[in-house]
Parts: sequence; structure tokens; C-alpha cells
Amino acid sequence: MLAGTLKAMTDEIRMLPKAYHDAVEHWQRHNFPEYPQLTERWQQYFPKDAEFCLCARLEKDMPTEIQVGDRKGQPKALAPKELDKEAAEQLLMIVRAQASTEFGSIQQHHGTFERANDPQDQTWVLRVMAEELRHGYQMIHLLTSADWSKWTDTKPQDMVEEILSMQTGSHVLAAFNLEYDSFGDSIAFAAFIDRVGKYQLTMQKVNTYAPMAASMPPMLREEAFHLAAGVIPMRRWMEAAARDRNATMDVPTIQKMCAKWYGRGLEMFGDERGGATNVKLGLKDLTNREAQDLYIAECGKMLDDINTRFVRARLAHLSRDDADKAYARIKDGKTVEGIRRDDLLRLPDRRFFRRRGEPAFQMIGHDGEQFTDVEEYIAHVLAHLPEAYRASIDVKHWIEMQRKVSRGEIELKKAINSMPRLARVGGACPCSKSVRWVMDVPEGTSGGGERLNP
Amino acid sequence: MADVRIRPVTELDIEAICRIDERITGKYRPDAWEDRVIYYIRRDPDSSQVAEIGGRVVGFMLGEVRGGEFGLEEPTGWVEFFGVLPDARDKGVGRSLIEALLARFKSQGAHVARTMVRSEDKDIDAFIRRNGFAPAPVTALEKRL
Ligand SMILES: CC(C)(COP(=O)(O)OP(=O)(O)OC[C@H]1O[C@@H](n2cnc3c(N)ncnc32)[C@H](O)[C@@H]1OP(=O)(O)O)[C@@H](O)C(=O)NCCC(=O)NCCS
Ligand SMILES: [Fe+2]
Ligand SMILES: [Fe+2]
Repeated sequence: MLAGTLKAMTDEIRMLPKAYHDAVEHWQRHNFPEYPQLTERWQQYFPKDAEFCLCARLEKDMPTEIQVGDRKGQPKALAPKELDKEAAEQLLMIVRAQASTEFGSIQQHHGTFERANDPQDQTWVLRVMAEELRHGYQMIHLLTSADWSKWTDTKPQDMVEEILSMQTGSHVLAAFNLEYDSFGDSIAFAAFIDRVGKYQLTMQKVNTYAPMAASMPPMLREEAFHLAAGVIPMRRWMEAAARDRNATMDVPTIQKMCAKWYGRGLEMFGDERGGATNVKLGLKDLTNREAQDLYIAECGKMLDDINTRFVRARLAHLSRDDADKAYARIKDGKTVEGIRRDDLLRLPDRRFFRRRGEPAFQMIGHDGEQFTDVEEYIAHVLAHLPEAYRASIDVKHWIEMQRKVSRGEIELKKAINSMPRLARVGGACPCSKSVRWVMDVPEGTSGGGERLNP
Repeated sequence: MADVRIRPVTELDIEAICRIDERITGKYRPDAWEDRVIYYIRRDPDSSQVAEIGGRVVGFMLGEVRGGEFGLEEPTGWVEFFGVLPDARDKGVGRSLIEALLARFKSQGAHVARTMVRSEDKDIDAFIRRNGFAPAPVTALEKRL
């Protein structure tokens, strides 16, 4: 054992059957070519941490009785066949969406990875990407380690194929279909979007399907690092912005990144009015709005902390108490020693630039102002978004939809479900020698053939 | 005891930890605490804890299970950085924090917890001993270079 190193003792490690393991590694070679750098950087940046392992991890000693919903108190399902039909179908959708987010975020980070201007931030993101790959692996493990044939006609190899074939633009959730404009988006994404991931995983710790519940704690431990890997660089950007008027990341730039990601994060909770069924079925322990409210409060706290770092750096002569008082006054709208409310970060209104959920297309401004003229609203939103993002297909699509909704030319529901078409090469493996990611699965395989960690 | 809530540390506790450290040492050291907090979070975010009273973070304790240090092969729970706001002391906050760390260490397979206290830190020494720690049969030696 290396000095100071210790392997976590609480999880049980599982490997996928070879065909699936190979498919994930094959996907990695095409979509995450940075992965081989991990070993060397790990030695440099995380020298005493337990080595990274591309494997599924299951927490031991989890509750064996259903914790919420109609069947509370009854034994949890150990195999898919023990689930109710509705719960099984819903769970398959959740796992598929979760897997899509894990693989999708790697594709997004990959887009700007090489443009990072700080080697530590970049290495943190590299670790985040590797852990997202492990999370995707974990979801594939759930689909392939058990027999789902009672609830779906889709063979496990086809479910896996479908997941690995998604590209930026065809993922289940909008946040994973947005391309990054710069490496800074990796940071803002970790701070805002991984935070939603934390909520989803935390809610699913109670899941009625025991292997799903047991998958959550190890993922959550990694997620905790992802959030820190977002928040700490943002704190440091703000410190630099406070000290140096020519800092590369100024406050308006960071504010616009918040405006780009926050609304998509809110939408990942699902429609504000929904989620009760998942609770009833014992899959999650909070409804969508309950979870979203907690998330909003937490994002507000995050920005308060980051702003405090700015105020302390700019007003270094003030004591801690006086700096705290100064921030409270600035937040209240007063100007203190030249710092105005607009010089600091603020959370956009929860209804701003929304395309799904209760406030979809409602024309609410960044700070809650109500618009009546659609062109004025579009101009307002554009002024709050990053310049590079404004030129994207995603924003163009939103403008079209917003205009149509406001003029009554499209049903709201249709606009909500409409996804921008990104010109993308088909998602199958680009190798000339194959057309599928998953190969060599014996005919009739329906899961259950996993091997334990060698 | 006031209503103390103990929970694992997160990245959003960094500023509160800076605040507590500043009350104790008079220094604002955000970079140092960012580095420390992310270190513990990435190694085991369930080991290190903070204490809240009425939603305000009033204390923290950072530590983890490691093996192989000082030739001590066995997995050891190390209690490393901690502090309680002066106005929240003597209410059992420190004790609740250390108990939470020790419970986690035990669940991680450690049968022993260790910490190091500088001889001049009499208060910390007294607190640690009150929590069941006794001098270890190890002598710390050093030589100025
Ligand atoms: C040491 C410290 C954590 C104690 O926190 P606290 O919340 O006041 O501790 P508690 O109220 O839980 O006390 C737990 C026990 O320790 C005892 N104790 C605490 N401080 C003590 C002291 N200075 N002398 C003697 N006993 C003490 C308490 O009496 C109590 O014992 P009991 O339960 O048997 O009555 C706090 O005083 C502190 O933060 N000190 C500064 C720490 C520091 O300098 N940190 C930087 C280095 S990492
Ligand atoms: Fe993830
Ligand atoms: Fe993540």
C-alpha cells in the first residue's frame, strides 16, 4: 500500500460483461480521447488518492425496505421482476436519462477541454469526465446485470447501443445538448448542472429497486468533488476580477454563463407541477418543485459565497464583520465604496429564459420583469447571454419558438417538446470496421452475466 | 445542548470555514481552505463534518482514514483541522463533530483514531483528551535544517 493511501472499504465493485465493458471503452476512445492522460495527471495532482477504476460500485448495508410511497415498509425489489409495472417502466426511463447525462457531459467537456488556461482546473475537469464515464458505466450495469425482459422488449444490448449512440443534440435533456463556448463552460456546468445531478442522485437513494439505490452513494461521493471543481475556480475568478480590472474572466462574463446554464438546470427537475408519481412509486423522495426549491436556495447560497470572496478582495481593509455588512447592503441595492449590485453575481429569476416547465415561454426577464412585446423580450434575453452562445443553433431555435408561441402560431406543448436539430453525424461508432458500439453479445443474452472484480 | 446539526462538509462551507478560522486566527485564508476542503471532499466527502446551529455553520472538523503513515500500517482515522466559533463553544459542538468523524472512521474500517497537537495548544489538548484520546506511544522528533 502506498503511504497515506487507502481504498474505500464500503463499496462492492462490479465489472460489466466483456462485450459491454469493451463497448464503453470503445466509446471512450472516440468521445473521450483525453482519458489516457488521467493516469499521469493523477500522480501529479491526486498522488495519494485511491486509483480511478472504471467499474460499477454498489454501497453495502443500504435499507432493505421501501422508504417512500404507496408500498412504504415492504421489501425493496432485488430484481426487476419484483417491481410493479409502472415503477419498472418509469425506472427504465430514469436510468436511460441518467446514462444520457453522464455520457453527454463528457462530449460537452471534450469540446473545449484543450482550451483550458489553467492546468489545475483542466485536471479537475479531466477527473470529472472520467467519473462521469464511471457513472455511465454504472447505469449500463443496472441495465445489463439483471433481467428486464418482463418489462421491455428491448434487448439489453440494444438499450446500451441506444445510450452510446446519443450525441450532443440527441440527448434526453436539453442541458446536455448545449455545446460549450469556452472551457469556462466546464466550470459553470459543474457548478450548476452537476448540482442538479446531486439532487437527482440524492432523491434516488431511496429508490425501490435496491441496486439503483445502492448505486447512488458512491456516485454522490464523486459528485461532491464535481461541485467543488466548479465552485472553487469560480471563487478564484471572482477574486481575480476584484483585484485586477483586466482579469480574463470579468463579472459580466461569469454572470452570462450563469444565465446560460441556470434555466437549463431548473428544467432538469422536470415540470414544476410533476414528480408526485415518482414519489408514489417509491423511486424518489421529493416532488419536482420541492427539489427545485432547494436547488434554487443552494444556488443563491453559492453566489453569495462567491460574491463574498469578491467583496473581501476588493475591500480588503474591512474587517470580516464590516465586509459581511457591506455585502448585505450591496445585495440590498446600495452602492458601497463603488461596488454596485450589478458588479456582483446574481441568480436570474427562476422564470427567465425558460422553455420547459410551468414558466415556459412566459417572457419573464432576468430580474423578474414581465415583458409584453416579444421582440423586446428576445433582445433582453440576448443581452444577458454569452456572445458566442447567442450565435448557436440552440438560441436561434429558442427565438423561433418564442416568436411562434407569443404570436399564437404554435401550441405551447409543441414548442416545449420541440428540440433544435443539430447537424450531427449519426451516432453509431465511426470506425469503418463496425456499425455498432456493442458487439459480440451472445444471442438471447438478457443480462445477469456480470463478473466480479478480478 | 442547543440544536446542533452535524452534516458532511460541502464546497459551499468553504466561506463559513474561512470565517471561523478568521475568528480564531485573525487571518483570512480562502486559498488555503479551498485547497484543504477540496482535498477532503475528493478523498471522502462523508468523513469531514460541519456543525450548524439555526442554519449557521458554527464549527467544522476535517479528517479522513489513511493507512501507512509513520510506519503505522493499520487504517487510521486522522482528525486534522477543526474549529468552533468562540460564541458557540462549550455547548458540545466540538464533541458532536468528533463523534461524527469517529463513527465514519469506524465504518471505513479504522480501529484507531489519531491526531497531533502542538504542545503549546493546551486548549486543544484538553478538548482532545476529554474526548477519549490518550498520548500515543510515538514520539514526534524533528531537526531544524
Ligand atoms: C477545541 C474546540 C474545538 C472545542 O469546541 P467546543 O464546541 O467548545 O467543545 P465541546 O463543548 O464539545 O467540548 C467537548 C468536551 O471538551 C471539553 N473542552 C473543550 N475545550 C476545553 C478546554 N479548553 N479545556 C478543557 N476542556 C475543554 C469540554 O469541557 C467538553 O467536555 P465534557 O463534555 O466532558 O464537559 C474549540 O474550542 C476550538 O475551536 N478551539 C480552537 C481550535 C483551533 O485553534 N483550531 C485550529 C487548529 S486545527
Ligand atoms: Fe455523473
Ligand atoms: Fe458529475
